[in-house]
Amino acid sequence: MAGQTDMKLIKNGVRLDGRKPDELREVKIVAGVLDNADGSCYLEWGNNKVYAGVFGPMECHPRHKQKADRAIVQARYTMAPFSVNDRKRPGYDRRSTEISYIASQAFERVVMVEEFPKASIRVDMQVVEAHAGTRCAAITAASVALADAGIPMRDMIPACASGKVNDVVVLDLNKEEDNYGQADLPLAIIPSTGEVVLLQLDGHLTPDEFEQAMDLATSGCMDLYEKMRNALDNRYGGSA
Amino acid sequence: MSEESSNKSNSESARKLVLPGDLVETKSKPGKGIFRKDGRIYSSVLGHAHDKSGYINVNAITGRYKPKTGDKIVAICAETGPSIWRMDIGSAFNSTLHHSESSWKVPFGDTARFLAIGDAIWAEVFMVDAAGSHQISLKKDDCRKLYSGTIVKIDPTNVPRVIGKQGSMITTIRENTQTRIQIGQNGYIWIDGKGEDIALAQKAIETINQEATSKGLTKKIEKLLEK
Repeated sequence: MAGQTDMKLIKNGVRLDGRKPDELREVKIVAGVLDNADGSCYLEWGNNKVYAGVFGPMECHPRHKQKADRAIVQARYTMAPFSVNDRKRPGYDRRSTEISYIASQAFERVVMVEEFPKASIRVDMQVVEAHAGTRCAAITAASVALADAGIPMRDMIPACASGKVNDVVVLDLNKEEDNYGQADLPLAIIPSTGEVVLLQLDGHLTPDEFEQAMDLATSGCMDLYEKMRNALDNRYGGSA
Repeated sequence: MSEESSNKSNSESARKLVLPGDLVETKSKPGKGIFRKDGRIYSSVLGHAHDKSGYINVNAITGRYKPKTGDKIVAICAETGPSIWRMDIGSAFNSTLHHSESSWKVPFGDTARFLAIGDAIWAEVFMVDAAGSHQISLKKDDCRKLYSGTIVKIDPTNVPRVIGKQGSMITTIRENTQTRIQIGQNGYIWIDGKGEDIALAQKAIETINQEATSKGLTKKIEKLLEK
């Protein structure tokens, strides 16, 4: 948001990458790509590339984090050093800690944690290439991986961002729009109920624009949900 | 939104994939793999819905082994205590084997002499409690310690595929490779025999595990074993 540019990000209602304001980038989802994980997913969203792996349910370590009546979800979001233009210093930082935490909370809303007392479900999300919207990409991929791992859930959660660029509310910001735009609003919902499990906002939106951005992001989530279903259908649909 | 899936018949072609959160249309009582919301039944796992004798179940395609009382399993020792062994059975938690459930007279603190870490047994699940912890026993039927041989780990949901209809698949493998095989419900399979025979049986079982969903698997395995 902080970046300044004279660049016109939207010309005649068409964005830099040729999309309309309410259009998603191209999304490709493949379920079950890793052998050693209980469930996994590879997702390409525009130029974003994300791997997600799910392990568990298994005994929770460290022990003091165990809950006697339910499982906990330990999500971990990491970016590869080569995922961005300037080499990212590997390891945890403030940003990835935050994303890991909010992702854990989002997943605990849908995973039937009460079925596995004292257990932990580990969700590892690795961003291999980043091009804005990686937290949404990571959460979407992890949802598919959770389903692939056979973890009981109430629903899968798609995540999608909307924002404001050149005073226009747009869906699914790309890197330029994210850097030089006016607002970014990542959203994750439970499709069957419409319940919001993750909502953040960076930048400024008027109440009207906020409503518009929410509607746009919700419809983006719904489109994405279909793609998630298709990915799992492709993996397991042919089974006799 | 959630796609509706009706399950009028159990025939294989009519089987449809249900995903977590999918509405399952049924008049039957709720079984496993489902949850209820507002008086309707939804699937909680990725799997196939089965309407059988008044109950609706969604059988998961993937996932870790869930111990059930009476299941025969292959377990691997993961930890030893003064009077218990903690056994890896491929489920969320390690299972407990108490020394009184073994056929040995174990002096206190001397458990590792009978079953050391890495040793395998053929055992039965004899208790699963509501909190999800479980115990296994060595005192039932043909339960014993497994010497020599190899253990292959497969997806527990593919175990019926490895066994085949009336044990057809496993008989084929046994006869063609001259090996002794014990299939645990937990997806751990013990194979014993000559080196190359074990390797062949292992290859067959791993192929079944990878291609569990494809058709004409028996023919394919027969061909693989003939070579």
